[in-house]
Amino acid sequence: MTSKFNNVYIGNTYTIASVYEKDGPISDYFNSVYDKDLYYGMDTFEKAEEMMLHDSIEKLIDNSKMKDSDINYIISGDLENQIAASDYAMRDFDIPFLGIFNACATFGEGILIGANFIEGKRANNIIVSTSSHNMVAEKQFRNPTEYGAPKKKTTTFTSTGAASILLTNKKNKIKITSTTAGRVQDKGITDVNNMGAVMAIAAADTIERHLKNLKIKPNYYDLILTGDLGYYGKNILIDYLRTKDIDISKNYDDCGLILYDRNKQEVFAGASGPVSSALVLCSYILKEMERGKYRKVLLVPTGAIFSPTRVFQKDSIPSIAHAISFEVNE
Amino acid sequence: MTTYIYAFLFCGFICMIAQIILDNTKLTPGHVTSLFVVIGAFLDLAGIYDKLVLYCGAGALIPITSFGHLLIHGAMDLATENGVMGLALGIFDLTSAGISVAVVCAFILALIFKPKH
Repeated sequence: MTSKFNNVYIGNTYTIASVYEKDGPISDYFNSVYDKDLYYGMDTFEKAEEMMLHDSIEKLIDNSKMKDSDINYIISGDLENQIAASDYAMRDFDIPFLGIFNACATFGEGILIGANFIEGKRANNIIVSTSSHNMVAEKQFRNPTEYGAPKKKTTTFTSTGAASILLTNKKNKIKITSTTAGRVQDKGITDVNNMGAVMAIAAADTIERHLKNLKIKPNYYDLILTGDLGYYGKNILIDYLRTKDIDISKNYDDCGLILYDRNKQEVFAGASGPVSSALVLCSYILKEMERGKYRKVLLVPTGAIFSPTRVFQKDSIPSIAHAISFEVNE
Repeated sequence: MTTYIYAFLFCGFICMIAQIILDNTKLTPGHVTSLFVVIGAFLDLAGIYDKLVLYCGAGALIPITSFGHLLIHGAMDLATENGVMGLALGIFDLTSAGISVAVVCAFILALIFKPKH
């Protein structure tokens, strides 16, 4: 399902990053970086994630010179069980809250829902936010300390930080022109250390349908950007789409490879986590769009929506990807 | 002197097998560790592991296969004294020191340190 929009604009964004993101290539673009440790001044990693998310929303509202009552909804989700970071961060806001989960595609899902609310004139201002925390995700399911062995090179590295974006019906420089909601894909892959391969299929399906529904070619966009496929997933996607006669090799990149420098940092296949695509979009991409480097960008956040319990029961890993088209307002 | 060489070769051989398994299968380190405990237990049951300890010394005692060997040893020892009940009583007999130290150390370290990254 592809929807077109005429009245949805990006109001403002706020990004908070942490230690590892600071050493990455786009660290100058973040609004704030906490690089002392991964605790963000809290006692636990979970509280650190909650506070980062909280602060990104609070600063976004302040910077936009708004009050809580000006925001109609906050749509937020994260990787913690029961999306706890979002649930707990929202205690301090007098704003209706919609909690969502699509793993690392959560931010894309949020923007898709928010854009539809605004286009349908059911809301004027909506904040979409997400967060992830390396240690929270590692502890919970990715790679517990007890694993006790070197990680595989196809694994990805969960990014730490929070990002919030304000969607509004007030005219602004960048607008959202269309979205394509993803379909759940599952090719029977069971390897939790190779999420890039799992999610590439979902990205391919969504990109293919997006281009077909809008009757455009990949070169319509200055940049097509997937969420967190990493190095191996990126190459799988390029190869797979080539079999469908879609060539994206010239204007395609992956947020997981933009957020970190794989050659200098020990991040294996690249960055992952819901905040990796959100950080790249809300800092680097939107700023470069304002400066004129890109005019049309298609963001395709990808998520492996799996349950560790089901994987232990030898079930496979489903994945999803949503496409959102950003264009500079002429 | 030969014990040193055998220790080096045997322990290295075990680690090499573990690495081959990790690189070529979907088994996790947890699986490999459990597998080695079971292999050690069977080798002891067949009377082979004691000979390995004799020739390789610490090379056979340090890797996790030795844990399986000690499980069987403890169980068999008490089984000869107390019969079937001895199997259950003795299985952790020789390994209890190792397990206790691990639990106590983990507790103390968890009190002192905070995870960083």
